[in-house]
Parts: sequence; structure tokens; C-alpha cells
Amino acid sequence: MSEKKYTEEHEWVKLDGETAIVGITNHAQESLGDIVFVDLPAVGKEVKAKEELCVIESVKAASDIYSPLDGEVLEVNENLSNDASIVNQDAENEGWIFKLKVSDISQVNNLMTLDQYKEFLDK
Amino acid sequence: MTGEALQNIYLNNFHKNNNAKFVPFAGYNMPINYKHGIINEHIHVRTHAGIFDVSHMGQILISLTSENILALEFYIPLDIKLLQFNKCHYSFILNSHGGVIDDIMLSKIKIEDEEFIYIVYNASRKKVLNEIFKKILLNYKIIQDRCLLALQGPDSFSVITSILNLSSSMKFLDVAILEYKNTKVFISRSGYTGEDGFEISILDNIAENFVQKIIQNENTILCGLGCRDSLRMEAGLSLYGNELNEEINPIQAGLSWALDKNRLDDKNLNCFHVLSKEINTSQSIKKIGLSPVNKSMLRAQMTLHNKNNKEIGKITSGCYSPILKKSIAIGYINKTSDMSEKIYVNIRDKLEEIQIEKIPFVKKNYKKGD
Repeated sequence: MSEKKYTEEHEWVKLDGETAIVGITNHAQESLGDIVFVDLPAVGKEVKAKEELCVIESVKAASDIYSPLDGEVLEVNENLSNDASIVNQDAENEGWIFKLKVSDISQVNNLMTLDQYKEFLDK
Repeated sequence: MTGEALQNIYLNNFHKNNNAKFVPFAGYNMPINYKHGIINEHIHVRTHAGIFDVSHMGQILISLTSENILALEFYIPLDIKLLQFNKCHYSFILNSHGGVIDDIMLSKIKIEDEEFIYIVYNASRKKVLNEIFKKILLNYKIIQDRCLLALQGPDSFSVITSILNLSSSMKFLDVAILEYKNTKVFISRSGYTGEDGFEISILDNIAENFVQKIIQNENTILCGLGCRDSLRMEAGLSLYGNELNEEINPIQAGLSWALDKNRLDDKNLNCFHVLSKEINTSQSIKKIGLSPVNKSMLRAQMTLHNKNNKEIGKITSGCYSPILKKSIAIGYINKTSDMSEKIYVNIRDKLEEIQIEKIPFVKKNYKKGD
């Protein structure tokens, strides 16, 4: 598996061949606060990079989650339907949200590395 | 609040030092939660006690003269002359159509033999109300040197009596003026969470010391506006700007219990003709409690629909209920809607079924008299 990449909308992406695993960053879950519901996307849905794909609800508000890449939703993390707080507890592992079948792998180059993301957060 | 800088409340630095997260609210920079997070703070208030700094709210002391009473009674549907001292009353400042300019807590108090009307009002309505007060009142003081704190939760009485000498005979909505560090503290057994508790008006310069003492008690934590909102929603309490505004009258808002019915025929109440008619006829809209059939989150401004997709109402407040572990909402629905039919809510352009719930969602736990 490759290194994690990050978006300006605070999603993380981990590639496994042509499959991308996507979630929100630890920074994002911290600023959202208690997460109570994830409106998971439909499996099979086709999506373009930077398009809104699903919604995460914290006690405070609803926030959109964007697809980091073009692709098709392969799988969603059903565990989050029972306990959305997994995203608070472990945003960057167990709290993954969906998997995408990536249509253009070269788009990954548009995403940030961890160092770049850290720099982006400090701005 | 475009163009206007946010104001800080007096204890801003204290909250910062206690890891508060801040949010702009009604022109003020307010703590939304502290390190435990909104859900834990919410549960702590329902099980133990929490202290909120609500010093953004307006406080005014009005000299109890017959002129001031007459002037206030033009806007407020209470018989102020007849009210007992040391009792607080939930009421409204009403416009000429019966719409709510603000919802308030009003009490008659004595400070060293001088008699006053003390009103607590919403931060978001300060500008409008201060104009009205200026226009109609003589001899009043808008309080600028006091914090307003709310200690809420079942342990509130034991926590507060470790600091202040409060009588155990004090019941829900009773008011007391107490001496603390050679100053006067105004206390009412009230709050806006549905729990037993106290609202405490205390001079700025001793407030931090007071809050420190309160949170030294292991049963009390600092709580922010985040859980104050979910607590008041569970208790079915209205929030100005959500359930209440100048277009909605108290009867439509399900708050006719708070109106003094004798005043509805009184020509000195600016909206008497509207309210006296409204209370005897069926209203156009009514307030309802709602929850989703599945796990969706209900939020303010979502529209309600019947099975034919006709819009029949709107959600005014929605949140996650940490006690019921699901979303709850308050809204208004057209009185003519068929309540036996299924109701739907528009969530991001999808219609989802919702169910009607009793308000309050969670039983209130006030200290009532025997």
C-alpha cells in the first residue's frame, strides 16, 4: 500500500492498487467535535474528484465530504452506521468512510503529502 | 453580524485558559464546549451538574414605579402589579401583532428596600430591546457589570450550598438576593436545560473566583453553549430566532401557559385584540416535536411534507439527543395537515419519513413545591 495523501477539504486517501480508501483526517474530526451520523454514499455511485459524495454530521453541524479522485464507490464502512463515533476515535484507520475504484490514478499526484498537509494546516 | 467585531464576555480569558472552543453567537465570542466535548457535557448536566457562562444575555434593573409598570405592560402579557416579589416569570415582549420581540425572565426584587423589576433577555435582541427600554422607561439601569452564570443539573443544590447560604425551601422559579463577599448576588432557581438549577447574576470582579469554587466540586464541569442547545431542545424549550420571532405569537408557539389570560382583554396590551382572538380560534400553525424514522439528522430550516410532497411545515431546531441517542427536532406544521398521515422531511433533496414525538423529549426535573 502506498503512503497516505491528503486534500484541502481534510480527507485522507490511501491507495491499494486501483482502490482508494478514503476518510477524514484527525484534524477534521477534532474540529468537527462529536460525530453522530455519517450519511454513507451508495455503493456503485460514480463520482468526480472534488464532488460532494456524502455528509458527516457532528453535534454541531453537517459537513460535506468530497471525493478526492474520480471513481466509483466500491464499498462503504457499514460499522459507521452503528457507531459514527468511530470516526472520532480513529479517524485515519478504523474510521475510514468509503472505498473508490479509481478511474485515473494519475490524479493522486494532485493530492498533498503528509508534510504538505501539515504545512497547509499551519497556514 | 457583518461588519461588527465580536465582543468578549468578561471571563473570556478564564474560558480560554480552560480550553474552551469558541463560536460567534449573537455578536459575542462564546464558549461552545470545553475539553470533554458537547455530548459528555450534556450527559454530565443530566446526571450531575454543569456551569454555563451566559453573560452575553441582557440584564436590566428597572425601578418599580407605576409609570414603568404601565409602560412595560404595554408589551409584556403579565400583570406586573400583582406579581409576588422573589418569583421569576417566563414571559415575552410582544409587538402589536402579538409577535415575539423577545422571550424574557422577569422578576420583582428588593435590593436594600428599593424595589425593582429585573429582566433577563436575549443577547441577539439587546439592540432592539434597549431601544424600546430607552423609549418607554424612566429610572432604569442596563446592567453592564455583572456576569450571568447558570448552574444546572441534579447536583446543583448541593454544589451551590457549599458556597452560598441558600434555603432548601427555595423552589423552581423562586428568587433570592444574597450577600456574597459584601456584594449582592441575584439568584433564581431556574435555567434552560430542563434540570434543577440556578441562574446567578454576580458582579464581574468576583465572578471568576465564584466559578473556580463551583468547578472545584468534582460533580461540576464547565459547559458551553453547544450542550445548552441540545439540553433545551430535549426539554422542548423554545429558542429565540428558532421557534420564536416577530412573526410568531406565543399561542402558535405552544406557550399560551405563559400568558396572563386576564391581560388579553386589556387595552393597555398592544396586541390584546390579536391574542384574545387567537386564543379562542384555531391557530394557523402549531408546534410539534419530531424524530427521524431512520438514523438521519434533523436540522433547522428543513421543510416538512405530506405524502403528496406538499410543503406543510418547517423544522426550527434540530439536534442529536445524547440521552435518546437519536436526532430530535422541533418545528411548526400547518394546523390543517392530517396528522394521521405520514410526514416526510426534505434532507438534502431526499424525502425521509419522520414521526411526531411528545414535547418535552426528556422529562423535566425541576424542584417543584410539594
